[in-house]
Amino acid sequence: MSLVELRSVTKRFGNHVVLKNVDLSVEKSEIIAIIGRSGSGKSTMLRCINGLESIESGELLVDGVAVHDPNSNLRALRARVGFVFQSYNLFPHLNVERNITLGPTIVKRVPLLQATELARDALRRVGLEDKIHAYPDQLSGGQQQRVAIARCLAMSPTIMLFDEITSALDPELVGEVLRVLEKMAKDGMTMLLVTHEMNFARRVATRVLFMNQGTIWEQGPAAAFFESPKTEELRNFLGSVLN
Amino acid sequence: MIRDLSWVDPLYLLFALRWTILLTLLALVGGAPIGLLVASLGNTANPSTRLVSRAYIGLVQGIPLLAWLFLFFFGFPIFGIDVPAWLAATCAFSVYAGAFLGEIWRGALMSIPKTQWEASSSIGMSYIAQLRYVIIPQAIRIATPPTVGFVMQLVKNTSLAAVIGFVEVTREGQMTAAATLAPLSVYAMVGAFYFALCYPLTVYSRRLERRLHVAR
Amino acid sequence: MTYTFHFRDVFAAQDALLQGLVLTLELTATTILFGFIIGLGVAVASVYGPRWAQRAARAYVELIRNTPLLVQLFIVFFGLPSIGLKLDVLPVATIGLAINLGAYAAEILRAGIQSIPRSQVEAGVTLGLTRSQIFRHIVLVPALKNVFPSLTSQFILLMLATSVASQIAAPELFYAGSIIQSRTYRDFEVYTVIAVVYLVLALLLRGLLALCYRLLFTHR
Repeated sequence: MSLVELRSVTKRFGNHVVLKNVDLSVEKSEIIAIIGRSGSGKSTMLRCINGLESIESGELLVDGVAVHDPNSNLRALRARVGFVFQSYNLFPHLNVERNITLGPTIVKRVPLLQATELARDALRRVGLEDKIHAYPDQLSGGQQQRVAIARCLAMSPTIMLFDEITSALDPELVGEVLRVLEKMAKDGMTMLLVTHEMNFARRVATRVLFMNQGTIWEQGPAAAFFESPKTEELRNFLGSVLN
Repeated sequence: MIRDLSWVDPLYLLFALRWTILLTLLALVGGAPIGLLVASLGNTANPSTRLVSRAYIGLVQGIPLLAWLFLFFFGFPIFGIDVPAWLAATCAFSVYAGAFLGEIWRGALMSIPKTQWEASSSIGMSYIAQLRYVIIPQAIRIATPPTVGFVMQLVKNTSLAAVIGFVEVTREGQMTAAATLAPLSVYAMVGAFYFALCYPLTVYSRRLERRLHVAR
Repeated sequence: MTYTFHFRDVFAAQDALLQGLVLTLELTATTILFGFIIGLGVAVASVYGPRWAQRAARAYVELIRNTPLLVQLFIVFFGLPSIGLKLDVLPVATIGLAINLGAYAAEILRAGIQSIPRSQVEAGVTLGLTRSQIFRHIVLVPALKNVFPSLTSQFILLMLATSVASQIAAPELFYAGSIIQSRTYRDFEVYTVIAVVYLVLALLLRGLLALCYRLLFTHR
């Protein structure tokens, strides 16, 4: 059974249809890059997947759980789905350690000592173990984003969602974040990334989705996707961004 | 002589409301010039004049309004002047209002970005013209919601004038309560009258605030 | 016209003044404590509560904020015995002042809660926290930090407003002043001294609250 399953998902904001009958299947350990123009629905689709947005019709299942069914235990599912935001969203009044241990201690009832160990491990994986006692306002954008990733990793997620996580970063800080993502991919994490980093997508993704006007306009394995785009819209889009 | 609460009592209270309104207006008339002075002094380049402005605001705001009322009420006789309660109250409220209005208006002036001064001087406007056509109109728009809010507070504060014997609606209420031994009903009515005066001002101030932020 | 200021008589009554001062401080402290708790409860109800709770919160806040403290104290003073509560004047004053402060604190705290960006809440949601956990761990402290200056001003206003409780014979500083005044006939001097005491208290309270801010909300 696939980890993420979308069947005819439609989403509207008022009168504006943002997602039109979207179908998608994501298997374990896939690395899916989602690209497209702003307004194409890519971030919205990601936010629907972990229930941050509601849907008007269709079915959306993550790890077997119907996300938009009022009877399902969405909170328990969210503890297994990591979500990293474009603006990091670290908690400014807590230090890095507490930012990361908050989830495990409160949601998964992990004792604090154990949670601190989890935090250290997660920080090691993103290369920031020495910043464990720092506060977010003492870190650079790239460091904050890596801490945000560590915050998700400490929850031992089954799947990670990334919503344009390098778009708000200064160019020289993007690399450190992408390196972390590459390592996670190699370690077998299932990842869905909405991204503008085409080179990264080409190198690391197993499958790439091009979203346009609320649907998945074209998709395919990364190499073929970028080398020989089948639709004209994708060709135009790649032409305009790959210069 | 104790009497029963009757239908005339609300009317007497209502009439006493005129004095509440009058005292509020007198406080504004007295306080506005002080406020303007405090606001403009607080906006000058000279740090000493700015300090005077801040000191006045700090002094007035650091002393309870009741104390200001009593200071004026007992202060005037010292200089041989016997003043009626309403005049002492007017002076106290004017001093009080001057500080709060000065603070509000100074804040409004300060919030006009320097770029407005630069833009208007670069098209050749004199200092007076800048103030008249660019700065003050904007400052008035910014200052109006909190000023209306403060007028509402003034209306409430006039209740303290009752303590020095000025017969506005609260004092009328005290006398009625003593005469009818029905304090709860009387003060509930008094409260209702204040609410009827203040709530529209609150709503108006909020509407002005919303319009201001939409326009910006 | 000659008038000599006789402050000596006022200073001779310093015991009475001191007692009044202590009571003012007591009244201020307990009112701030209970007023804050009431305000927080009402603010939470107005942001997270069901419709009826939101409307009740709104009604309470508007009622208190649009009527004078003096009238509210009179209503509490005469109202409590009529529902069977015969209390000493100090608890009555505390209740009246706390109900008053609670409404102003509720407005300030509501603004603070609503000032927390939705993205912060979403981050908590994605970790799997409940609404209550999100409020306690993510919203509350930053909200308090944001509105602390407003709360400070409101608490100082409250401290000065305890003087109004003198009108229901609460033996705080201002009441002590009126007693001394009636005994010594040194009206102006008494109230000058009292005014200075309040001014000093206001400065001290502001400093104390600034210290609290530094201790609670800054890190190094």
